[in-house]
Amino acid sequence: MPLYGMVMDMRTCVGCQACMVACTAENLTPFWSDKFRTHVEDKATGVYPDVHRVLLPRLCMHCTNTPCLSACPTGATYRTDDGIILVNHDRCIGCYACCIACPYDARYAYEQEDVEKEKALYGRNAAHQVPHVDKCTFCAHRVEKHREPACVSTCPTGTRIFGDLDDPKSEVHKLATNGKATALNPGLGTSPKVYYIPS
Amino acid sequence: MTFMHQEVWGWQIATYLFLGGLGGSTFAISTVLHLVEGCNRKMLSIAIVSSIVFLLVGTGFLLADMLQPLKAIYALTNPNSWIFWGVVFINAYFAAAIVYLIPLLEEWPKLRPFIQAIPAGILGLLERFNQLAALGGSAAGFLVAIYTGLLISAAPAITFWNTPALPLLFVISGFSTGAAFLMLLSTFSKDEDTPNIAKKLEELDAVMIVSELIILGAYFNFAMFLPTGARQSAEFLFHSPVFILGFLVAGLVVPLAIETYSIFFAGHSKKNQSLMLLASALVLIGGYLLRIYVLSAGLYQYPW
Repeated sequence: MPLYGMVMDMRTCVGCQACMVACTAENLTPFWSDKFRTHVEDKATGVYPDVHRVLLPRLCMHCTNTPCLSACPTGATYRTDDGIILVNHDRCIGCYACCIACPYDARYAYEQEDVEKEKALYGRNAAHQVPHVDKCTFCAHRVEKHREPACVSTCPTGTRIFGDLDDPKSEVHKLATNGKATALNPGLGTSPKVYYIPS
Repeated sequence: MTFMHQEVWGWQIATYLFLGGLGGSTFAISTVLHLVEGCNRKMLSIAIVSSIVFLLVGTGFLLADMLQPLKAIYALTNPNSWIFWGVVFINAYFAAAIVYLIPLLEEWPKLRPFIQAIPAGILGLLERFNQLAALGGSAAGFLVAIYTGLLISAAPAITFWNTPALPLLFVISGFSTGAAFLMLLSTFSKDEDTPNIAKKLEELDAVMIVSELIILGAYFNFAMFLPTGARQSAEFLFHSPVFILGFLVAGLVVPLAIETYSIFFAGHSKKNQSLMLLASALVLIGGYLLRIYVLSAGLYQYPW
């Protein structure tokens, strides 16, 4: 089985937010409530005159040691064989324990109002039938058809690289293991499957 | 590094945590007092009914905060989750509390016909297992009280919560509020045993408050010296007048002073009943404020 992961090359991100738009269109996430599965953090770091701008794209890290999975009492949060962390909408009771446990702000509530708005906007194509806690799926529905996640295929600068972390020939494996890429907050021991090459 | 206040769990969950600690500890203290000291069965039944109501209302607040409360039974799926154990503890508590309560209700003439309508075999069984229900329910009550702290400490990015001191603080504070509630109840009793029970409760509450102050000292000392969100949270609380004056001063120091006066100087006389009433009310308000403020001081520490 593949072990899916992503590398973010922060040297090339221009903060166009096309990834957020592609994700919203692909997964019908509630942009009307300002809720997104992926974000681009736009931060200034350093002290004047030595300052620079950092653009950090972020999403669910699909951690190997997964605090949200442990916190979920219902088993709604689960791991697929290829390492993707998903939420079973029908099983989620919306207790928010996963939101509290997630160290990467990757989860949000898909509330009843969002379900109704989605139905009004997309009709029969609405993807979220019940309120639940929502998060990035690495576009598992696309990946199983051998397509890249929407944010990856739309990124105009090639910042997001997706693939099989276990395949030594894959670009994502080479970038994740070349010593330049690091995970966010490695000290927490969550072993994320999203790596960052600093700018 | 970005620090962001958690807004996921608000006053509803704080109320659940407060009532969970209060209900669990009220049952545990009352039954242990009954077993060790013996006390008025009518007052005991009021205390047990109150503790059940606290937990029922608390659970109601938890369910009301959920996106899909009608599916709450699914919470019994993943034993790695603290909520799973919370459901187990609360249900074990309810089962034990009801077994313990039913024979006690015979003390009330108006309820006696209903109790006597229960088949004698079942009633006999309930009475036979009464002590076991008392001890089992006390253990479950204690676990419910400590679970309220364990639940929120399972948050790796909220460093102020992610510490073993928090469950300890919540369980001690829970037992302090339980003792305070029973003290409050005892002021309405005219039974001749009541002053003796009230004395025990007052001593227990004073010990709990002293323990709480020690844990708070250690907790804040730990938080203030960490270069993390825990320090930001501690500073947030130190700059919250309601936390300092409402919880720390009015909810801990003042009741401790009243109880110390009552234990050592007033000799639990009937005259100081109004003081006891005041101390109990302050401890209960303080306990609620503690949960509200600990929840609102929860800061996520994000790596960007």
